[in-house]
Amino acid sequence: MSGTWYYIFTLAFFLFDYFILAMGLNIQYGETGILNFAYIGFVAIGAYVTGVLSLPSSAGTGQYYILGLSLPFPVNLLLGGLTASAFAVLVALIALRRLRTDYLAMVLISLSLVLYDVCNNYVPLFNGADGLYNVPEPFAAALKLNTNSFIPFFAAVTGVIALFMWFVMSRVTRSPAGRTFRAIRDDEVVAAALGKDVFRQQLKSMLIGSFYAGIGGGLLIQFSGSFNPTAWLPGETFVVFAVILVGGVGNNIGLLVGALLVETLLVHLPAFLPAIPGAPGLIEYFDAVLIGVLLMVMLWFRPQGVVPERARRAASFGVKARLGTAAGELAEHVGSARAPQATTEPVALTTEGSGP
Amino acid sequence: MQLFWLSFGFGLVTASVLAISAVGLSLQFGITNYINFAYGDFMALGAFFTYVLNDELLHLNIWVATLGGSVAMGAFAVMLNHFILAPFARRFKKTFYVLIVTFGLSLILLNLEYSIWGADVRFFSMPLDRAHHIGPLILTNSQLAVMAIAVVLMLGVHAMLKTTRLGKSMRAMSDNTTLAMTSGIDTNRVTTITWFLSGALAGLSGAVLGITEGNLTPAAGELFLFVIFAAVIVGGVGSIYGAMAGALLIGLATEVSAAYINPAYKLDTAFVILILALLIRPSGVFARPGRA
Repeated sequence: MSGTWYYIFTLAFFLFDYFILAMGLNIQYGETGILNFAYIGFVAIGAYVTGVLSLPSSAGTGQYYILGLSLPFPVNLLLGGLTASAFAVLVALIALRRLRTDYLAMVLISLSLVLYDVCNNYVPLFNGADGLYNVPEPFAAALKLNTNSFIPFFAAVTGVIALFMWFVMSRVTRSPAGRTFRAIRDDEVVAAALGKDVFRQQLKSMLIGSFYAGIGGGLLIQFSGSFNPTAWLPGETFVVFAVILVGGVGNNIGLLVGALLVETLLVHLPAFLPAIPGAPGLIEYFDAVLIGVLLMVMLWFRPQGVVPERARRAASFGVKARLGTAAGELAEHVGSARAPQATTEPVALTTEGSGP
Repeated sequence: MQLFWLSFGFGLVTASVLAISAVGLSLQFGITNYINFAYGDFMALGAFFTYVLNDELLHLNIWVATLGGSVAMGAFAVMLNHFILAPFARRFKKTFYVLIVTFGLSLILLNLEYSIWGADVRFFSMPLDRAHHIGPLILTNSQLAVMAIAVVLMLGVHAMLKTTRLGKSMRAMSDNTTLAMTSGIDTNRVTTITWFLSGALAGLSGAVLGITEGNLTPAAGELFLFVIFAAVIVGGVGSIYGAMAGALLIGLATEVSAAYINPAYKLDTAFVILILALLIRPSGVFARPGRA
């Protein structure tokens, strides 16, 4: 296989993987309004747990890590995702109650740094600063894949998983739960006044989103066979935010576009450029600056993203609910169930929503 | 016991650096009502401005250079606010947007620092330090100077807030911006001055952090930002006196604990205190009503 194909399949893998990661962050931030600045921490938990579950026992490998159960591929990945979810519940129980946006964001970004610090320093957990390596490639032995054929194979596997998770996510966002999430995003107080348990719904959203984070992280370590602490400094969370904000918050197609534009074209394409002589790392630094600038320009000129959130139809009335007023949409929904005489205009609960 | 006093001395030094930076962050938060996630990079940038004056270009004395670096960072913060942050804050009512923008600004500044100064550890050129025994404590000249700067600044900030017209305007704005505006306070001017003070305090704390740690790197500010968050949250976000008290508590706790458990987990001590504070008193020890 030629180098170009090898390269294209690598990019395809990152496209699918970041699509999964973006869907997870989107349900937390884009649908429910939780500014999860610790997102990459959940990705890392998924990656590490997936890794140590598929690695053999650590004795004699030269690495130090817990577990080492040699579990087969989909099992370790699922457990990795579930561990990230479990951790999210723990975090949410402490941080989501009674914290306003700024506090929550500060606590979560601190959490992200502390997770990094602990994994970096406490070697027996996940091999410290060296990170995990030589993680077995799924199905490589059974299908007799070599390094070259593994990459297209695993990119395809990730694509299938991403497609399935997309299907599940679009069901979730269209369900009553999804509507409640958006109502909370638009106005917590209104959602609470309509009898929604805001904390419980936020917990649910954290749980689902972190499962996606864990799966995305697990696929990352399975693809590259290694994972170390520098791969998930808080700046990486920003990349996932850039993916969903550039692509379009609250729109799953937009997330795929965002993953293509930001992760594939901006993050991974320049990594294949030749380094500037005498200035190692300069391309990466400029690349990061470019992502930051692009996000600001996008937020200013097109805050709804490349593919904006669709105006959702309120089924009971057949009138178009205005974009960004999911609270109104919900009020209608509740209203239609309880008060059939309410045939006047939908309750006007316009908040600033997704910007002008 | 000797170990305790030694780490207690370090704790006081860290608390001094923290107090300067936490007050700078709180001043700005009180006025604009959003957290500046690029504050850690403001610190690092201030330290590098100092480095340029002290080592690269002018070879100024370290303290003169620190002053210059702080003023330069203050001016830069005013510009960043004027051209980037203030327009976003005016246009989008939700804090989400401006928080994301400060997060992005942090990424941009950090990587600009990396591309200009590289990832290597750098050092200030400083006169040789001498250690002094003060009671049970052992402190060097520069550590004493840092502590003195912090004490003088804290008193200065206190005097400014309580007695000057500017300080009263700042307190009025942080209580209620609209009411302050209708009372004839020039809120734009106060906001600009606040950004200058916040940037200058960030630059100063970044430089003294470099002086006390003995080295500077672009990432130093980002790691320290989280310790500032711990101090600020423990004290109550937006409360200046809370930030000072929180800085003292977190500074002492991190350094003293570092003497008894592995120093690599210094940060984690701050985080444990942060979580405990959130569980016991989520709005902070000195929080004012209506915040948090």
